Amino acid sequence: MNALTQRLSGPIRILLVVVMLAWTLVPVVWMVLSSFKPDAAITASPPSILFTPTLEHYRALFSGGNNLWHNVVNSLIVAGVSTVIAVALGTMAGYGLSRIQIRGKNHLAFWIISVRMAPIAAVIVPLYLMFRYLHLLGSHTGLIVAYLSFNLPFAIWLMTAFFNDLPRDIEEAATVDGASKWQVFWHVGLPLMKPGIATTTILCFIFAWNDYAFATTFAGPETQTIPIAAAQLLTQTGIDWGKLLAIGTVVVCPMAIFGLLVKRWLVTGLTLGAVK
Amino acid sequence: MTGRAQKPRQGFELAMMSPALILLAAISFIPLFTMIWMSLTEVELIGGLSFSFIGLDNWARLFTDPGVRSSWILTIIYFVAVVGVEMILGTAMALLIHSLIRARNVVLSLVLIPMFIAPVIVGLLGRFMLDSSFGLYSWLLAEVGLYDGNILGTVGTAMAAVVGLNVWEWSPLIALIVLAGLASVPGDILEAAEVDGASYHHKLFYIILPSIVPILLVALLIRSMDAIRFFAIIFITTNGGPADSTKIIPIRLYDIAFRFFDLGYAAAVGLTMLVFSIVIANLFIQVLKRRGEAL
Repeated sequence: MNALTQRLSGPIRILLVVVMLAWTLVPVVWMVLSSFKPDAAITASPPSILFTPTLEHYRALFSGGNNLWHNVVNSLIVAGVSTVIAVALGTMAGYGLSRIQIRGKNHLAFWIISVRMAPIAAVIVPLYLMFRYLHLLGSHTGLIVAYLSFNLPFAIWLMTAFFNDLPRDIEEAATVDGASKWQVFWHVGLPLMKPGIATTTILCFIFAWNDYAFATTFAGPETQTIPIAAAQLLTQTGIDWGKLLAIGTVVVCPMAIFGLLVKRWLVTGLTLGAVK
Repeated sequence: MTGRAQKPRQGFELAMMSPALILLAAISFIPLFTMIWMSLTEVELIGGLSFSFIGLDNWARLFTDPGVRSSWILTIIYFVAVVGVEMILGTAMALLIHSLIRARNVVLSLVLIPMFIAPVIVGLLGRFMLDSSFGLYSWLLAEVGLYDGNILGTVGTAMAAVVGLNVWEWSPLIALIVLAGLASVPGDILEAAEVDGASYHHKLFYIILPSIVPILLVALLIRSMDAIRFFAIIFITTNGGPADSTKIIPIRLYDIAFRFFDLGYAAAVGLTMLVFSIVIANLFIQVLKRRGEAL
């Protein structure tokens, strides 16, 4: 196929790009489009392209007794707090780890990456028992701790990789000028780390915001996040597709925008610093 | 590794590291030891938590349970299909995007969008697009005469569909990684080959692919670690069905733990999953070390 893209350039290459974009975007576009359709048009067969757009599904989401504001707020609290803790501690640790010289650094690295990569289904089991014992089931705290189990190692690891790439000369010059190590970190290292911190923050937030497995197990009626609200609508008989598609749009759009904001550093972030 | 001798006093670095590492130790070792302990007991939830020590019973069961064995076989099929198709499709996408001169950035941005979508919503999209009465893709497949049954409700097509949804979400990541690798393919060698009249096929298989092998390996390991880490897509679309045909090991584990509340046994199954991910994490570290990148 790629032999063709080079040789038969022009129209065929354009066709392949169109096919690739269709494969990628049709489900998303169809979801967003359908969220503005009246109910009858959503489940019409054959699928209808022409319809009178309506905002009723979005109105149903954010008004009335069954509104989703509290789900949005819960998602913001648990994703936000776990991200702030992970990034703050991870930035400090990343700086320390990238500058320190100790034996066994590889073991440390292996431990950190193993925690990040532990299968969620496996982690849920002991956490469930611990949270039950500590009465953290159904609380924001429980979910925040659960999200830290993957976001903290991720942030430590990624910030270490970002700090490793920072040239040392400026820091050394500051040290020679008599700055303390903290001053060097705070006034020299940190300001140069803005892209790294932004990338880590956004990725941590997306991971937590998108979580389903932890939230469905640990959240109570008061702490349900939006993905849980979506999943619950899906398992009801007589699915309210209009509302669901509107939720989907609300969940997806901000994350896609956040993600693309740090596109330049995405490959570093998502490969945990293995690819620059 | 900085390779430069530093001052012997590293109190500051240690102080910077300790809050994060102490917290990480707490949220990794406590659950790990809890889990090992659970796997040796029968956990009773009713009337307060209680554990009765049963030795290796859960572990013995693990190796004789036909359900767990069939789940592992399904997991292998699922894993090979997901990661294999993603690698091929992702690499193809990267080569295509790389060959673009105009609009490369816009196309790449659009292609990346599925990665940011919550697995629950990917599952929702699967249910919506493949619904047998009004799904756009079901309708298209029926119109062209390929398939007109209930995709998510039939053994075989259900597995294909959940693999497809994962491939849809994560091929862009492979494309993004490979694209970074393609930027480092030596241009002068390519030009020399061109002058010698090498075909694109030739260049692809003898110059381009060999020079991105290390990065393909990174992509493979990254996806291998995540492929069975997340299970929400299957949870939402088929929940393991029909007839257990998509019940890969994380779904089975979740069932054992939270449908049958057999938490001791679930812990044993979870530990075997953990071994798998630790092996892959170890390979990842080895690759990084060879590239001189580890911490």
